[in-house]
Amino acid sequence: MTGIRHKLREAAVILVALVVAIIALRGSARAPGDLSALDRGILTLISPAQAALSSIARGLGNAAGRYMDLVHVRGENETLRSENARLRADLLESRRAANEAGRLQRLLGLRDSVAAATLVARVIAIDASPYFRVARVQLDRGEGLVKPGMPVITPEGVVGRIKRVAGDTSEIQLSVDPASKIDVIVPRTGGRGMLRGKPGENGYRCSIEYLTKDGEAKEGDLVVTSGLGGFPRDLPVGHVSKVVKNSAGLYQELEVSPDVDFARLSEVLVVVAPPPAPDPDAGARARTLSPPRGQSVYR
Amino acid sequence: MRSAATLLVALLLLLLQSMVLEFAPLPLAAPSFGLLVVLHVGLSPKWSPSSAALVAFATGYLFDLVAGAPRGLHAFVFIVMSLVVRLIATRLVVRGLVLKAATSFMASLLSALLIVVVRALVNPDGGYGGLRLAPVEALLTGLFGPAVLWLLDRLDGRLDPARLRVGLSRRRPRPFGSTIGQR
Repeated sequence: MTGIRHKLREAAVILVALVVAIIALRGSARAPGDLSALDRGILTLISPAQAALSSIARGLGNAAGRYMDLVHVRGENETLRSENARLRADLLESRRAANEAGRLQRLLGLRDSVAAATLVARVIAIDASPYFRVARVQLDRGEGLVKPGMPVITPEGVVGRIKRVAGDTSEIQLSVDPASKIDVIVPRTGGRGMLRGKPGENGYRCSIEYLTKDGEAKEGDLVVTSGLGGFPRDLPVGHVSKVVKNSAGLYQELEVSPDVDFARLSEVLVVVAPPPAPDPDAGARARTLSPPRGQSVYR
Repeated sequence: MRSAATLLVALLLLLLQSMVLEFAPLPLAAPSFGLLVVLHVGLSPKWSPSSAALVAFATGYLFDLVAGAPRGLHAFVFIVMSLVVRLIATRLVVRGLVLKAATSFMASLLSALLIVVVRALVNPDGGYGGLRLAPVEALLTGLFGPAVLWLLDRLDGRLDPARLRVGLSRRRPRPFGSTIGQR
């Protein structure tokens, strides 16, 4: 009996709940905008909590959005950074290429202006030993034409002479090496002497001993090749940096700063044939790559 | 006490449900947390059918107010769902992750169908639109179902009237012998 009563009570409660729901549904269908006092009370209680939770959710959503933006910005930053690095590398490469083009153009200009057969060589090493002022060069072509003693020049001036040859690579004895000897003149005074490297110097310096004293050489005077010893005439060698002895004797002793920056040598010209004789018909022959055998002065 | 606590949790879940769309990448559907409360009271033998129906009614009514749905729509559907679930519970023991997820999924589908049908009956102009989203909602409800049902089970265990009567309310019983030597 109790069980039946219990079941009836259960059923009644469920039925009432269903009926109330249906009544509410009907009321809502008739007047969707109307709210009962109970509804308003519930909504008044719920709204602050809903607003607070919504604001928290929005805040979290914004934070997540900002984080995502940050992630995107980070990715974009990485891309821009790598692009910047690539562009910097490109710029450096372009500058290097422009410099190289300029150097080669000057070298080409020198080659055209020098009345002697020359070969272009690329410097691959310089001053491997501090005791010997030498540079190592590699020929792009013309292997076998280079002989020891051949002058080496750049647009800036005299570099030195070929010391040893091994295949397509050669060793240059720089003009600043103590064993180097180059016949030079000081055009302003007309004085002539022998340029030698200064032994024991840390930098690249050389000196002229026994400069014939046609006139008093001064600091800053230009020193050029005399044209003897295989070097083309009037090639710049350097400038007088110091007058060491100015005695009343026949000779002067000068210190010379080379015009060539040996530390930055990259391409040089090797003079494989001597400058032509004043005879105008000899010009065409002298500009050929192969020096006439037996006439080379560098053997 | 237990009904009030369950209703409070239901309210929180409903509010949470209204927030889910803030986070959702696509404004499609949210899991039906209210239905999971109904599912819990319907499946649990600790709840009588009338209590389950009352909680379902209250949850549905709250949902109607929070969601802006016609008042009584979810209340009615949730009562029906509580009865259906109770019917299922008499024939099937819903235990385990997979079964709870599957039950949540199916209940959500059925609930969506009922809601659309009742809405169409009350307001024929609305038609049967929205059913396309029912599988997505059911899928989300199925995903969240086991976790929410587990949470509500835990809450039920804490607020069990039988336990409260014998003094085993919120505190866990101390292990035997833990007080030895303290005097």
